[in-house]
Amino acid sequence: MGIWLPMPKVRSRLLVATLLLLLVVNPLNAQRSAIDTYAITNARIVTVSGPVIERGTVVIRNGLIVAAGANASPPPDARVIDGTGLTVYPGLIDSYTNLALPEAAPGPSPGGGGGGGFFLLQQQQARPPSGPNSTQPAGLQPEVMVEDVIRPGGNEIESWRSAGVTTALTLPRSGIWMGQSALINLSGDTPQQMIVRSPVAMHVGFTPLRTGAYPGSLMGVFSTLRQMMLDAQRYRDAMQSYERNPRGTRRPDTDRSLAALIPVVDGRMPVVMVANSEREITRALDLASEFKLKLIIAGGQEAEKVAERLAKQDVPVLLSLNLPRRTTAALPEADPEPLRVLRERVEAQQTAGKLAKAGVRFAFESGSMTNASDLLSNANKTIESGLQPLDALRAFTIWPAEILGVKDQLGSIEVGKIANLTVTRGDLFERNSRITHVFIDGRPIDVRPAAPGGPPQGRNSLAGMWTVVINLGQGDRTISLTLQQEGERVTGSISGPLGAGEISNGSASNTGEVRFTVSVNVEGQTKEATFTGNLANNQIRGNVTIVGAAPGTFTATRPN
Amino acid sequence: MKRLIVFLIILGTFALTAHAQTETLIRNATVLTVTQGTLQNTDVLMRNGKIAAIGKNLKASANARVIDATGKYVMPGIIDCHSHSMLDTINEGTLSVTSMVRTRDVLNTTDVDLYRELAGGVTTLNLLHGSANPIGGLNTVVKIKYGRPASEFLFPGAMPGIKFALGENVKQSSRPNLPGVPRRYPSTRMGVEETIRDAFVRARDYKRTWDEYREAVKKDKNLVPPRRDLQLEPLVEILEGKRYVHAHCYIASEILMLINIADEFGFKIKTFQHVLEGYKVAKEIAAHGAGASIFADSWGYKIEAYDAIPYNAAILTRAGVVVSMNSDSDERARRLNIEAAKAMHWGDLTEEQALKLVTLNPAIQLGIQERVGSLEVGKDADLAIWNGHPFSVYSRVDTTFIDGDIYFDREKDLAQRAALAKERATLEQAEPNKPPARGQSPQTPRRRPSGHEDDAEVEKP
Repeated sequence: MGIWLPMPKVRSRLLVATLLLLLVVNPLNAQRSAIDTYAITNARIVTVSGPVIERGTVVIRNGLIVAAGANASPPPDARVIDGTGLTVYPGLIDSYTNLALPEAAPGPSPGGGGGGGFFLLQQQQARPPSGPNSTQPAGLQPEVMVEDVIRPGGNEIESWRSAGVTTALTLPRSGIWMGQSALINLSGDTPQQMIVRSPVAMHVGFTPLRTGAYPGSLMGVFSTLRQMMLDAQRYRDAMQSYERNPRGTRRPDTDRSLAALIPVVDGRMPVVMVANSEREITRALDLASEFKLKLIIAGGQEAEKVAERLAKQDVPVLLSLNLPRRTTAALPEADPEPLRVLRERVEAQQTAGKLAKAGVRFAFESGSMTNASDLLSNANKTIESGLQPLDALRAFTIWPAEILGVKDQLGSIEVGKIANLTVTRGDLFERNSRITHVFIDGRPIDVRPAAPGGPPQGRNSLAGMWTVVINLGQGDRTISLTLQQEGERVTGSISGPLGAGEISNGSASNTGEVRFTVSVNVEGQTKEATFTGNLANNQIRGNVTIVGAAPGTFTATRPN
Repeated sequence: MKRLIVFLIILGTFALTAHAQTETLIRNATVLTVTQGTLQNTDVLMRNGKIAAIGKNLKASANARVIDATGKYVMPGIIDCHSHSMLDTINEGTLSVTSMVRTRDVLNTTDVDLYRELAGGVTTLNLLHGSANPIGGLNTVVKIKYGRPASEFLFPGAMPGIKFALGENVKQSSRPNLPGVPRRYPSTRMGVEETIRDAFVRARDYKRTWDEYREAVKKDKNLVPPRRDLQLEPLVEILEGKRYVHAHCYIASEILMLINIADEFGFKIKTFQHVLEGYKVAKEIAAHGAGASIFADSWGYKIEAYDAIPYNAAILTRAGVVVSMNSDSDERARRLNIEAAKAMHWGDLTEEQALKLVTLNPAIQLGIQERVGSLEVGKDADLAIWNGHPFSVYSRVDTTFIDGDIYFDREKDLAQRAALAKERATLEQAEPNKPPARGQSPQTPRRRPSGHEDDAEVEKP
């Protein structure tokens, strides 16, 4: 890793020449090149903000777009890319991700011996990031800032860039008050270089705490959110009163959690609430109205059913492109799927088009999809279901830039904006198009061709069908487990005597540690089971903990 | 796909017109008014959501919907005083006092149980928090306006309420003792009493703090108000008589215990729910002025249910207690008419007394008796047309009205089945609904909450 100082604008030709040579010798290091002037000539330029330039040149220098047009010409010191047959778009923005986050902290491996089961269990739950000296438990800490934990690099960022994404809103993985997000460019050697804007918004998820502590239900989540916002209002008033007249006023206790909520309850900082179904969105709208919050919806699968209200209250939607589809095999003995589910899957593809028609502002996001190449192919499905292609492009560029407060820096090809560009051969949304170049902050990024046919199945990959023998102290039970792996992220599902369902919080480290949680059916009750184990010799061995039950062990095997 | 859209548009227009119809005349029915006896060959006129007239040979305007109900029965919409339908979550069981949580926040208007309940002639539900803790969450009284937004479900003017619970569920008697797992306080009936008393002591202090502030702020405008405590605010409302207590209970001693606490703090218990041993303390319940909302004939399903008898409704009614028959189950809620009928068999209640168990009496228990619970001119047009006497197991509902609009219609239901099957066939061919070549096995059906348990730990699938 080289350390690069900010480049002076004037430098010796020699240095340029040397670095050019380096570039030739090691093209993989192109992104660290000292060249800071590029020109893409003879290309079709889709500016988004203005008309399409059928044949023109985009010039970028020092990380910014300095010229774009039919008559722009490359400066003499520019590295020229012949854009004949290529189309230049503003870099795509993914408006809701967990990119650049460190892997979810693995809990301590459950050692043998009884006792302490409950506390062990608490530690093993996927923990949201936790701030020091907080008055609140993890998951209820609005003061958490994602900019404090982001890290550059990694497979996931690389695959997102290769899918044409240059910028992403990133936020903590879990929590009720999840914390504050940052908008990052997907390149840079340090977190500081990546950040475009931070904090962007406060984030709310409605998943109850799973530690056994309050709130343990959706009802409790709403009440907790309410109580903390009321407390924040009072904290603000008490602090103001104290600051006006510190002598003779008893000093209020400081509280970083409540302090972080003051811009939220004052309506200065937007609040992004995760809401997909009609009722979830309605509840979020109700809560926002109650506290006069500046609301943004994330997910928004059924947003068109609330479109009128969203448009009227000018609430934008970060619309997930992780479109629902059937994952279960066709088995003759299975019950038919409910009509509601069948409708939902079809209607989800139409949501974007309907929102655009209803005048609801929205931006696309990847919705924790595991395969970045689904982003554009799923956007294509929304176009086939009624969204105008230009609006699809806007939902990846200028609309998120507006919603996330960076419309002066990003979202279109205009002079003075950050030089984030996605260059394709063929139309961006066409199935056979290919992303040829990606520029982030004015630097070219290596584009890795998308692996055809899903995620790679490396030797150490967890992907495949596993047979899992679980011992919960009352004899063995065998279930089947299907896993997919993308980087450190593991997804999949279980089926068998403990019920069937998708796994969540799945992760795998490169040392072979595997963990995931899944809802299981034990003695007629649905409970959360956490699996932690190690992959070795094509076997995963480890421990399983179920809330309210004695800990057990499991062994997973798959055909060689 | 195009055909599907056309179909949806037709459906949508139909729903709109149904909602817009302002006048309906039901002709020549047997009308069970509940308060004014049974009227033969009688018409019921509904206009603008209200019952406009009941009588013979009524005239309706030219564009009114006219239904010939010859040989059929008209009954007030059934009111279920203990339901957990349409709640995405029932219990906040982490704490012993969760008066800050609200069922209003988790309504699911698409719950298909609602439609099934409409098909059983039910029009109003008292949605209660579960019985996981001595002081549970706030209730919501709704009209089952299936297909309308949640805000339209809310019963206008219904008294706000709260769930309390006593006994085995709240002391978590059936929870296994696991090493290292701390038990939630309380785990005895003594502790339950202390938990409730402690909460009201805190509520009284909280009320005093605010009363003092309201006095003091008149002199010093710069005072920062006390902290608003969402847990204690509803308890203050109970103390001020602005919120009804619906208390889940089983055994006689704990019923008396709660009456004593209520007397001590000067509030009333509005209903005892389940109250299986209510017959043992019927006089005391009547003296307190509380109602009882019970099962017809469930017993023996847990230790504290061993002393239950099916004469409970009759004994309590004769002692002067306002009694209702509730479901506490999405399944039983479809046949509350039969639950009420059982009281004529066990204990010889009159037909009118039995009808009241699922109509006027639950309305009184929810503070909505001026609006619903009987067929009277001026009351809400919430009623159902039955094809036979509702106390017969062979009878079923043809049409259910709420505020004069149709929310269930058997003919329409049958008529649309073919269209739905066609829609399903189209949808199954859609790309996202096609099964993958190699996917996970389909979900096994999950256990539904059974009708013979109360709501301690039951969550919907």
